Amino acid sequence: MSLTDLMSMAKPNMESRGKLLLRLGGRELVNCFQCTKCTSGCTALKLLELKPHEIVKLVNLGFVDELPSSDIIWTCATCLKCVQRCPQKASPYHVIMALRNVAVEREAKVPDAYMKAVSQILETGLAETCQKITTREMKVLDREGLKLPKINSPRESFQSAFLKALEEK
Amino acid sequence: MKITVFWGCRIQTSQYAYEMSVREVLPKLDVEIVDLPENVCCGDPVKSVNAFAATYLGARILALANSAGLNDLLVPCNRCHFALSEARRTLQTRPETMEKVTALLKEEGLEYDPKLKIWHTVDFLHDHIGLERVRGAVRKQLKKLRLASHVGCQIIRYTDLGRPEDAENPKKLDSLIGALGAESIEYAEKLDCCGAALMYSHTDSALSLAGSKIKALQGLAVDGLVVSCPDCGLMFDSKQKQAETTVGEKLDLPVLYYTQVLGLAMRLKKEKLGLQLNQSPVDKLLSKIPS
Amino acid sequence: MARIGVYVCHCGLNIAGVVDVEKVAEYAKSLPDVALTKHYTYMCSEPGQQMIQEDIKAHCLDRIVVATCSPRMHEETFRRAVAEAGLNPYVVEIVNLREHVSWAHSSEPAKATEKAKDLVRMGVARARLLEPLEKRKVPVEKSVMVVGGGIAGIQASLDLADAGFKVHLVEKAPSIGGRMSQLDKTFPTLDCSACILTPKMVDVAKHPNIALLVNAEVASVKGFVGNYEVTVTKKPRYVDADKCVGCELCTRVCPVKVPDAFNERLSEKRAIFIHSAHAVPKVAMIDADHCLRLKYDKSVCGKCETACEAKAIRFDQQSETISFRVGAIVLAVGSEVFDAARMAELGYGRYKNVISNMEFERISDASGPTSGKILTPDGGKPPKTIAFIQCVGSRDKRFHEYCCRVGCMVTLKQAMLAKEKIHDDVKIYVLYIDMRAFGKGYDEFYRRARDMDVDFIAGLPSEIHANPDGSLCFDVYDKATSRLLQVRADLVVLGTGLVPNNDMENVSALFHASRSADGFLLEAHPKLRPLETAMAGVFLAGACQGPKDIPDTVAQASGAAVKAVDLLSRGEIELEPLKAFVDKDLCSGCRICESVCPFVAIEIKPELVDGKEKPRVEVVEAMCQGCGLCSSACPTGAVTMQQYSSKQILTQVDAALVEAGNGSGGS
Repeated sequence: MSLTDLMSMAKPNMESRGKLLLRLGGRELVNCFQCTKCTSGCTALKLLELKPHEIVKLVNLGFVDELPSSDIIWTCATCLKCVQRCPQKASPYHVIMALRNVAVEREAKVPDAYMKAVSQILETGLAETCQKITTREMKVLDREGLKLPKINSPRESFQSAFLKALEEK
Repeated sequence: MKITVFWGCRIQTSQYAYEMSVREVLPKLDVEIVDLPENVCCGDPVKSVNAFAATYLGARILALANSAGLNDLLVPCNRCHFALSEARRTLQTRPETMEKVTALLKEEGLEYDPKLKIWHTVDFLHDHIGLERVRGAVRKQLKKLRLASHVGCQIIRYTDLGRPEDAENPKKLDSLIGALGAESIEYAEKLDCCGAALMYSHTDSALSLAGSKIKALQGLAVDGLVVSCPDCGLMFDSKQKQAETTVGEKLDLPVLYYTQVLGLAMRLKKEKLGLQLNQSPVDKLLSKIPS
Repeated sequence: MARIGVYVCHCGLNIAGVVDVEKVAEYAKSLPDVALTKHYTYMCSEPGQQMIQEDIKAHCLDRIVVATCSPRMHEETFRRAVAEAGLNPYVVEIVNLREHVSWAHSSEPAKATEKAKDLVRMGVARARLLEPLEKRKVPVEKSVMVVGGGIAGIQASLDLADAGFKVHLVEKAPSIGGRMSQLDKTFPTLDCSACILTPKMVDVAKHPNIALLVNAEVASVKGFVGNYEVTVTKKPRYVDADKCVGCELCTRVCPVKVPDAFNERLSEKRAIFIHSAHAVPKVAMIDADHCLRLKYDKSVCGKCETACEAKAIRFDQQSETISFRVGAIVLAVGSEVFDAARMAELGYGRYKNVISNMEFERISDASGPTSGKILTPDGGKPPKTIAFIQCVGSRDKRFHEYCCRVGCMVTLKQAMLAKEKIHDDVKIYVLYIDMRAFGKGYDEFYRRARDMDVDFIAGLPSEIHANPDGSLCFDVYDKATSRLLQVRADLVVLGTGLVPNNDMENVSALFHASRSADGFLLEAHPKLRPLETAMAGVFLAGACQGPKDIPDTVAQASGAAVKAVDLLSRGEIELEPLKAFVDKDLCSGCRICESVCPFVAIEIKPELVDGKEKPRVEVVEAMCQGCGLCSSACPTGAVTMQQYSSKQILTQVDAALVEAGNGSGGS
């Protein structure tokens, strides 16, 4: 292989890069010319140090394998500014989402909340459970108390269909 | 007219005020709400887990809406609206995904129809109902109110997908506020994100984003912040107190859903609009409205 | 009995790498009427051509078949070679063994060789029926119309006029000068733009061979190369150009203020105005959309008429239609500046202190709205910090994918001008993706900017906001230091690119000049024919073909002028004989051919038959491009194509349907 990262001794993995490109369904990622507009406007940069342009460049060079197990890919706030303004339509947000999918597949460090949401959806159809709200006058109310209609549950076939969908790579 | 409504998870499990105010306001504008036969997640949190499954969930909602037989679907949540819009785009552009999703839906006796028109609260009121009719429904002008709008991220971006609002200069929510007689200010942080998506893994950062925006608005002498997405409502209203610690300042800005403010202007009952549920100090704002 | 010579070219390995050229040559020998066959590495080379010429003489060949690359490459070459040997150039048949065989079927050499044999057999069949044809000569007008009076049009006009040609220079603004007259200084020399431009403008005005038409636009172009008939519409300026002395007494008394487009709307002019400080011609003009008298009623106002001592005001002036004939046309219509309001996140249009580079140029110019002082539009103060943002509207899939070519150099120039004019401690930041300083003296110019302490940040901001005090602020991630930097600037200058004119569609239709994917006018070949369009006699110069700087524009303009001189200097041009012609005896005058001809090349020429006038058609040879539509549409077979008659085509079809290898070869 012709390239080595001398700090980590990592080498590019073009096969992983190719697979990621397939997930994205387009090759615009390779058009990135590092204008850094995405990072300049990134909602998660100041607080969480997310640098979308860096992630895109790493993927482009083939340094894909280190990313799914990193924490950084879970810092994206999904504000979509990078998708909106990128002059080459490289869309770092979609790259980050694809890397998250790889992390889940590899059972790398995935924040609990996401897998909890999936289990919740399997169980009830919704990603959240119904909460009770305390009003400003300290009264505790729920859907029933507020006379809101019942939430219609999904039909029986939903669970197995959703499970099947989750098995698709 | 009749319209199917897809509420999504957040509204139905905690942001009841949004649901109540929509259910209260729309019939007064001659719109009959038809609930979907099933309330299932749009797939938004699943995007980070499995893109195909997320597309499938979105397509399933559209198929359920199709089974209701109406052409229009109202989606009051920004994230759901984006998830359904992206699901539709993916099905249009990836034939293999379309095939697999169609097969899965067929197993449940569901059929996906791409011709459904997907609305959000903001463009439904602004473009379909129209400012004229909104103005006409106002019984009490909210003339003394100086409000700031937060339209959120996922209904303004990304333009290529076709969104209800303009990405750099969204004006519809401001016009809707103006139609009630109130002022809607321009402010530098207008397009800043509420941070909701980070609640899954970085709660402090999420709260800091919401808190910073509230803090900035407090410096501009506004009477309240108007939102139109339950996740934004969650961050700015429900979590406002929690956000205080991340910005080191007292936060007490009234935050309401647009449909609540609209209901106030239409002189609808406060309890019916869920105004008792807002966690932020909305009474400050309510006192500015003459009764 | 024809005596055909067949030459199979290897084209290096281009053909021979796939096709067994020896076998093909061998096979050709077996075809009837083939006197000799040869194969050679490069038929188009000098030895290759010489071979054909010697064989023609030695073997009395009267038809030549060259099996080689596409005729678009070397048909002319072989025609000339054959003509030099004394044969008519139109008895050469090219068989395409490269684009049609070796390049298309590189993975199937055996089948490719069979196809090559088939094509050669067809070529030989056609060669038998080729007829000698003569080129016709047509006299041409030794005059040229140059459309557009910017530096490109001015340079082309001067070169043509100096070469002795009459030039009609048509400019739609009230003065020539174009974009260059709006510039303060030019890179990389920092020459004063007006100082180097105005002498040329005056030369144009004074040149006896140049007829200058300002306020004029081309209305229609008819005719054909060497013989174009042009009509131009000249808008009224409501001022007698012969009487007006340019004293500007009128502009002082006019009550109507109008945003001044020359100053990029940073200042106002009056409804009666002179285009610019160095306008040529320096004659006043009334803007009919804003003049009270012209819009409403003569009782409303007439102040300019009263003030004018030369009695030059003419409210009753009408537009004029001017017609003339020219032999060639040079298009130099220039380009426009990208409207930065389309990139709303940068705040152009929302914040007055976010300006385009053209607006900065006007501010910097001594004849501009601030008399050359760098002052912020909102506030009128010298900025303490200026930020230049590159690639606004360029290199962007949302707007224009191309690089505007001049943005980097313009910004370097403007940064240095700002440093020079504001002196003390003004901080200048240039935010860029790449710095492109490609020309002669350009990288040295970049180094000069760095010497002047201009700061360069490798990154672009996502959005621009305004601070409460009116200054502008934005975040930018600098790749070089890996830091997120916040910039607070009093003035932001956007590096807006050059884009095709709004009316480019009209231009394209008027002159039958195609456009490339980027919207600019399309050259005949991007490398080898950058100054010509596909339309014979229509040439390109300057930014209308693609964004470019002044040195390249001037070079192109002189080049286009020479192309026109090339075409017209002999006073006549030769027409290719491969055109349609009409057998009048078979023509019924139905005019179907006229209705399908895309080149307006069919004329009605009635004929007297038995004392009655019968409609007949004739082909206008100079317009005919030999497309064949008329011939295939003609119901009586009256229209045929030279060298492409039904017989000549059908003989190839017959040859194609015969099996190769059995030696009979078809006939």
